[in-house]
Amino acid sequence: MKINEPFVEKILTAFIREELSKFNYKKGILGLSGGLDSAVCAFLAAKALKPSNVIGLIIPYGETFSKDVKDAQEFSRLLKIKSRIINISPMVDSYFSSYPIENRVLKGNKMARERMSILYDFSAREKALILGTSNKTELLLGYGTIHGDMACGINPLGDLYKTQIRQLAEYIGIPEKIRKKIPSAGLWVGQTDEDEIGLPYDEIDKILYQLVDKRTSKKDIIASGFKKETVEKIISLIKNSEFKRKLPLIPKISSRSVGHDFLFPFDWDK
Amino acid sequence: MKRRVNYDNFCIMKVALAQISPRLGNVEKNFDLHLKYIEKAKKKNVDLLIFPELSLTGYTLKDLVAEVALSPDSNPIFAELKTASRDVSLVFGFVEEKERGLFYNSAAFLSEGKIVHIHRKVFLPTYGMFEEGKFFAQGKNFHTFSTPYGNAGMMICRDFLHYGACYLLFAGGSDIIIVISAAPGRGIQGKEAYETSRMWESMGETISLFSSAFLIYCNRVGFEDGKHFAGGSFIYNPMGKLVAKASYLDNEFLLQEINLNDIREVRKKWPYKRDDRPEIILEALKRIIRKYED
Repeated sequence: MKINEPFVEKILTAFIREELSKFNYKKGILGLSGGLDSAVCAFLAAKALKPSNVIGLIIPYGETFSKDVKDAQEFSRLLKIKSRIINISPMVDSYFSSYPIENRVLKGNKMARERMSILYDFSAREKALILGTSNKTELLLGYGTIHGDMACGINPLGDLYKTQIRQLAEYIGIPEKIRKKIPSAGLWVGQTDEDEIGLPYDEIDKILYQLVDKRTSKKDIIASGFKKETVEKIISLIKNSEFKRKLPLIPKISSRSVGHDFLFPFDWDK
Repeated sequence: MKRRVNYDNFCIMKVALAQISPRLGNVEKNFDLHLKYIEKAKKKNVDLLIFPELSLTGYTLKDLVAEVALSPDSNPIFAELKTASRDVSLVFGFVEEKERGLFYNSAAFLSEGKIVHIHRKVFLPTYGMFEEGKFFAQGKNFHTFSTPYGNAGMMICRDFLHYGACYLLFAGGSDIIIVISAAPGRGIQGKEAYETSRMWESMGETISLFSSAFLIYCNRVGFEDGKHFAGGSFIYNPMGKLVAKASYLDNEFLLQEINLNDIREVRKKWPYKRDDRPEIILEALKRIIRKYED
């Protein structure tokens, strides 16, 4: 689970630089939440592309997370990247005043998609590729809003578990204030990832690492000391979120079909 | 004029490895890249210049395989590379259309304006992240061929991890074993290199030592569809000693002089080659095969 930090930093900055240049982008853009993952991604992008080519959009819903907004602003000043605050409460409130609902998950998802919509708009305005900030833990558990925070052009952090990102963050010198924050998807006040998933990241990642990277059987993981219910819960989260990791299914009815046997590389002629 | 090997005399050969990142699916652009390295090699009086697996096309081709395929006998790019091989011998990777509609992941050895040998990849990895068996026809042989520098044999990437393939080149009498590769790195817990790099180095050391042959491994770098090719090209001498090593992640032109007389010296001391018994191995293999057919 432990990573070689300088090596990983080198790989991820090379990846950002190379993919942007392949697709003729000079600039990268990402949503800055004031949390750890977007801070690490912004740091890597600033290193890969030069700070002046990185745009951090801070996209709060009103004053709900004003402390995080302040942290995100301070951090973008520290990195010397461009940043901008766009408040989504007018759009979100307008929608929910017409279609009111109490469910906070639905509200949070709507906000995540509002942020996505703004990121894509600014991506086009600024000719900047969107850098995703979903980590491997979230991707595997499906702990993210489909077409919301999961939407991006490339995702440099997608093969690092949360605990590995913490390790990298310490090495690259992300301020302690950001590193020590309790991880939260920020869908509502007081929401924390670990409460919602019901397990601490350390434990989740240890189990995921065994299941996914080591291909250890469920039986052997339980035998090594993890609770049966915990392991089963993680497996069921993975199983039920596969749709978030794939393009939508297309019924194959012709002789050659998108998503089935029309097989071309992403980096085609790049 | 090319320097010819005289086995009785001290003979130094200049080898260069082009650790490059080809453009996926664009043969024209990659041909230009090859020419650039050929020019560089000519300036340095290189005898043999080696490019990685599928250097003319890129690796993650999928349905592009048929579009980028070349026929060595009729393709103009191939003809130009043959001409270039009058000045410097070349090894490179390409998609070969050998019979109509059959596409191979191939390696060409060109020298003195001619095709010396074409190796077609035998072991096509098809599992997990690899899908070569879906797009390529399988090669059928591991052939040792004669070159201006001595007997040589070629393997492509995964071929090299099957020690039966290495044995066939040893038994066939290869003095120089050339491996061209497009090996993506996996595993980030190691020391400033992907963990999988160790696997290639370990084969390089072992096969060079126990074949008493030079082992030249040319890998590529760069990303394709998120896969990161791990570089780290190397040359081991017939004593199993590392004599040249490229960086793990960056483009590089690795130039190294090798002394072909090392092969003779080490075989005097360690007679693995003299004592090899391919006929015993062959009979034992036949017995094994008969058994599993029963």
